[in-house]
Amino acid sequence: MKLFTKYNRINISATIFIFLVGSVAFYFVLDYVLIRQLDETLRSEKEEISEYIRLHNQLPDIQNTKEQWITVVKASNSIPKPTTRTIYQFNTRDSENEPIRQLIFSITASNQTYEITVNKSEGETEDLLKLIILTTVGMIAMILLFNYLINRKLITQIWKPFYNTIDNIKDYAANQQSLSLSKEPIDEINLLNESLNSMTERIHKDYFALRSFTENASHEMQTPLAVIRSKVESLYQFAEGKENMMQQLLAIEDASLKLSKLHQSLLLLTKLENRQFVLNEPVNLKTILLHKIEERRDLFSAKNIQVSVAATDFEMYFHQHLAEILISNLLNNAFRYTAPEGKISIILNPETLSVSNSAIHDSLDTNKIFQRFYRASESDTGTGLGLSIIKEICTASGFSIHYQYEKAQHHFIILFQA
Amino acid sequence: MKLLIIEDELSLKQSMVDFLTSAGYLCESVATHSDALEKIELYDYDCIILDLMLPDGSGLNLLKNLKQNHKSDGIIIISAKGELDDKILGIEMGADDYLAKPFHLSELAVRVASIIRRKSFNGQSLMNIGTIQIDTQGKEVTVNSKAVDLTQKEYQLLLYLAINKNRILSKNAIAQHMWGDDMDFADNFDFIYSHIKNLRKKLLAAGSDDCIRSIYGEGYKMQI
Repeated sequence: MKLFTKYNRINISATIFIFLVGSVAFYFVLDYVLIRQLDETLRSEKEEISEYIRLHNQLPDIQNTKEQWITVVKASNSIPKPTTRTIYQFNTRDSENEPIRQLIFSITASNQTYEITVNKSEGETEDLLKLIILTTVGMIAMILLFNYLINRKLITQIWKPFYNTIDNIKDYAANQQSLSLSKEPIDEINLLNESLNSMTERIHKDYFALRSFTENASHEMQTPLAVIRSKVESLYQFAEGKENMMQQLLAIEDASLKLSKLHQSLLLLTKLENRQFVLNEPVNLKTILLHKIEERRDLFSAKNIQVSVAATDFEMYFHQHLAEILISNLLNNAFRYTAPEGKISIILNPETLSVSNSAIHDSLDTNKIFQRFYRASESDTGTGLGLSIIKEICTASGFSIHYQYEKAQHHFIILFQA
Repeated sequence: MKLLIIEDELSLKQSMVDFLTSAGYLCESVATHSDALEKIELYDYDCIILDLMLPDGSGLNLLKNLKQNHKSDGIIIISAKGELDDKILGIEMGADDYLAKPFHLSELAVRVASIIRRKSFNGQSLMNIGTIQIDTQGKEVTVNSKAVDLTQKEYQLLLYLAINKNRILSKNAIAQHMWGDDMDFADNFDFIYSHIKNLRKKLLAAGSDDCIRSIYGEGYKMQI
């Protein structure tokens, strides 16, 4: 929910509630005041009659009007206290029930007790009440409307720098320059911007520190490995006639090769996670695929593996080097886990790249397969990073990768539109 | 053939000097940027092996210096930064080749030989190994003036063995030279054996000596 919508929802419902309660209270207060005024008029009428009787000891001549009339009834006993009440009487003129205010009192004139009722129509009072309520409701509506309009204008204006900031940080990536958000007149937003500026600057610095660390680590690690390898190569020259020594040297060489491959893979994974690759080169995957298969022809034929390819020619925006690594890794993986005399089939089209190979083992653990250092079996001598690299390349490029096991075949399917 | 090796890791430098000296090159070596600068200003080399990260400067500066002075020395960059960008940059700045650390010395020897071949145009394209003659320009192999028909891979293998003659080469080194290092061999080196077998058969059929020897199936050696 947008800030403005949320604010409005609370603001407007609170305002409406207050005005509703207020209006009801206002109605009753107003009603009370007007009735009291009416009663006042009735009482003064009573006073006039009483005054007349006191002076003349007889009932006055009564002039009735449409709005006010008096009825006199002879009574046997008097009412102790004058009472006021509202009755509803059918009015033929307006053909509706009209409220009428009455004051009933007893009075004695010429030794006769009379019960006198002073009637006054409440119609006028009602009309006045209606008018006042109508005006009030109109005003409330106006206030609500203007409140809404002013808030909307104000909030959009006040929060504009905030939305600018949001737009800026939305597209922020760690490998780009730190943000330089402008100074704003509102303290809170200014504070936010300053915090974001210093935060992104820190991220930027950390990012480059990490980057140079991985690069330096690479240097520091590869140099001793280069020394080991060159010394082993020199030692080979003394291994003639000593099979045991040859085998041991080969084991050292294997280990050093594996170590440097492992290290390169981890470095690549770090770079992929850091999004250090820009995917803007037109790449022809078919060319790369055919080239990589050709490179491995000797390997495949040594294991009698049949490779079938159905590829379409197309170009996509990607990264040449990453595309090569992706395809190499898929092929390496397929080669390593295909039994001798097995089959590898590859389908490539603008939507998908799928590599299927006849399995040595059963289905792989779908949850763990893309985890680093996951190996299908104990005897597996690979680095355990090949599939993680494939997965990371897919993630970094917006592809999705799926694994299926079907009819004793592993299927790795990459969808280019994830 | 004179080589200059610029490398700050002393034991690696020594290995390279030993290896290339035994391959018949005259090697000089330095460990710092300033020493290297002095050497390249004073002398000409057939090939310079250049490490990029030196304690007192970048190897790329030396490369720039060489190119500014229009020196024709061949240059191989060896760097631990196996980054593709560094490789492209080095080649763009005029290096002839780029080898990422760690590498096999036998691979370095092949690269050096190839650069020297490219740089010198005066009849250097013929190599004689025993009774075998390799014409590196036409990629033709003859035994006692009789042409031997080799596949591309067999030719590549023969050249590699010939340049590193009288040395034991491990199957790892051979595999990496022939198929590059982004390949996963999955501990299966049978295909090397079959290439060696075919090459040997063809050379023997042409009348050469049996000069390729297997060292317990773990390595091979061309004995002359």
